[in-house]
Amino acid sequence: MIAQIHPLGAAIALFFVVSLFSILWWMLHPPLYIPAAAAKARRSVFAVKKILVPTVGLPYAERGVELACRLGSEQGAEILLTYVVEVPRTMPLGIPLPEAEQEGNEALERASSIVKLHGLPSQKILQRARLAGEEIARIARERDIDMIILGIRSDPGLKGELLGRTSDIILRHSPCEVVIDKLPKES
Amino acid sequence: MASEVQPAAGLPVPGTPTELRRDVSVWGSFTWGYADVGADVYVALGLVMGAAHGAAPLAFLAAGCVYILIGFAYTELASAYPVAGGGQYYCLRGLGDIWGFIAGSALLLDYTIDIALFAAASAGYINFFFPAIQQFSIDLGPFQGINLLWAAESLLLIVLLMVLNIRGIRESSLFNSLIGAVDMVMEGSIIVLGFLFAWRPEKVVYQFQNEFPSTEQFFYAVSVAIISYVGLESISQAAQETRRPATIIPRTSIALIFVVLLFALSFPVLSLGIVDWQTLAERESDPVAALASAIPYVGFLAGQAAAVLGATIVLISANTGVMGASRLTYSMSEFHLLSPWFNAVHPKYRTPVRSVVFFSGVAAVEAIFSFLSGPKAMDTMVNMYAFGATLAYFLSFIALIALRIKDPYTPRPYRMPFNIKVKGYYIPVLGTVGALATVGMLGVVIWTHALGRIAGPGWIILWLGIYFWYRWKNGLPMLRSVPRDWEKDQIAILTSAEEFDLLEQYKLALAERNKKELKHVTK
Repeated sequence: MIAQIHPLGAAIALFFVVSLFSILWWMLHPPLYIPAAAAKARRSVFAVKKILVPTVGLPYAERGVELACRLGSEQGAEILLTYVVEVPRTMPLGIPLPEAEQEGNEALERASSIVKLHGLPSQKILQRARLAGEEIARIARERDIDMIILGIRSDPGLKGELLGRTSDIILRHSPCEVVIDKLPKES
Repeated sequence: MASEVQPAAGLPVPGTPTELRRDVSVWGSFTWGYADVGADVYVALGLVMGAAHGAAPLAFLAAGCVYILIGFAYTELASAYPVAGGGQYYCLRGLGDIWGFIAGSALLLDYTIDIALFAAASAGYINFFFPAIQQFSIDLGPFQGINLLWAAESLLLIVLLMVLNIRGIRESSLFNSLIGAVDMVMEGSIIVLGFLFAWRPEKVVYQFQNEFPSTEQFFYAVSVAIISYVGLESISQAAQETRRPATIIPRTSIALIFVVLLFALSFPVLSLGIVDWQTLAERESDPVAALASAIPYVGFLAGQAAAVLGATIVLISANTGVMGASRLTYSMSEFHLLSPWFNAVHPKYRTPVRSVVFFSGVAAVEAIFSFLSGPKAMDTMVNMYAFGATLAYFLSFIALIALRIKDPYTPRPYRMPFNIKVKGYYIPVLGTVGALATVGMLGVVIWTHALGRIAGPGWIILWLGIYFWYRWKNGLPMLRSVPRDWEKDQIAILTSAEEFDLLEQYKLALAERNKKELKHVTK
């Protein structure tokens, strides 16, 4: 006797085989193993929930903003954008400086538009201080900042130093991790 | 003498050697569950056919829906808390000592029944080759139609498993994996060849339309069908011996859920399209062998092969029962729920000899008791099995919800889908549905299982008596829980499991919580 194959039976048999093999293939391909040191590095970056980015309105500083957004996008970090107007010691701290303040607001606005592109929460902080570096370190302390991202210029300053006074103070006095982004000269 | 209460009972601290070796691979973890579940289908098919008749696929489907929810819950819990103990551990951690003990004793009932039921089922498949033993029956006083030979075979198998488990289980794990693979190929072949060469949809439709059971019978069948899906518990029992459990267990559990569903739904649909439901109901001891025999071309061989494989796979399932009971008692002793007497290790073989002998003995008593009920011996065991499973599953769902609230910091590599945020906590909607479904199922078991409604609660009450006696004798709180540092335990668990990414995630979550609490105090 030759048994006849019913089309519905054949379809069920095919469905059964395909489903079974697909499930087993998926099961036998688990994600890669993460060793202890790698896990620590991964999670410590993931723990960065507040990133402070000082800006001076120049392209290298704005690149720092973009970098901060990329580093904070997975964990939805808050980006705090800051512009510090340095007031010389010869003048009172509260002296009107409309031009400098307008320049600062414009720089913050541009930086904020970069953050908006990533959909991350942000704050704009415009401050006056005698030394920008000290003020940035103070903000980082007071606001529980996890990381400062500092875009620096490509060319050495007048004294041939790569890190200016502000960067140097931030590096010395900041309570958190500091990432310095220096582009090659051609950029 | 009162035993000392440790502030952090449970697992060893990082750096110290662990009690159980992490030797179970992805396939090993899967087959650990499949050996149990694959065997359950072999056993349940005939029993469900006998109760649900033409609606057997519907009964399997209804039980399957509850099973998917249970599977999702166990996947979340086992991957978040990869330790031995399963449902008992989750309830202990989420609901406290006494509920952990109740869940543990319900599972112990299941594991002992598992040993008795599957040893009897294995003997049943062996008897496929010895019809004379299959037909044998004798009257002993008030007990009618007892198959003494079948009972003796079952007891012999229980003794064999007991001896094997005292000698060690390393080789049996490999055996488990091999038999699991061979059995899947065999079961798959029966299904594929059956659907290709013998299945007729009009026969299924005819039986479905004309052979529908009564409502009570149908619900009874659903509660029996649930035994086809017991096995996820075994995966979580093996969690402490699985490599990278938090990564592997979600995969093996989810794969097991769908593989088992595939098999459990295919078998009744295939059966009803090939033979009458009565044929399988009459062969409740070896239904798959009977089904395979009816497939053209290969039937003459498939019947014998299915019987051999049926005998081995259900025996492995019984073996899972012996291993499960010993791990469960290990966990319960560790947490001061049971006397450490059960954890005594054999000086030569390093196996928990007392618990193996004790629970094999309990299983033997259960088997004898069931065989005294006559030809429906297996049905009697299933009666009690369903009670333990549904109670433990119900409590595990409640523990899942409680742990979402009490322990939101433990990373959950897998979360049950559909959650709603209430006061900052993620409440699992499907977990709540699962709790309702399993409590409903427990109600059905109590309603439809005459023996289960007495023997099940009786078993729990008996063990509660032992629990209170032990706690009272050792000066431990009777109704309250022993204080424990769960956070320290969780760090030890994740470290020993080498789940470093989750460990860092957990530490980060705790650090953030501490920071928030500190701010709150400062304000």
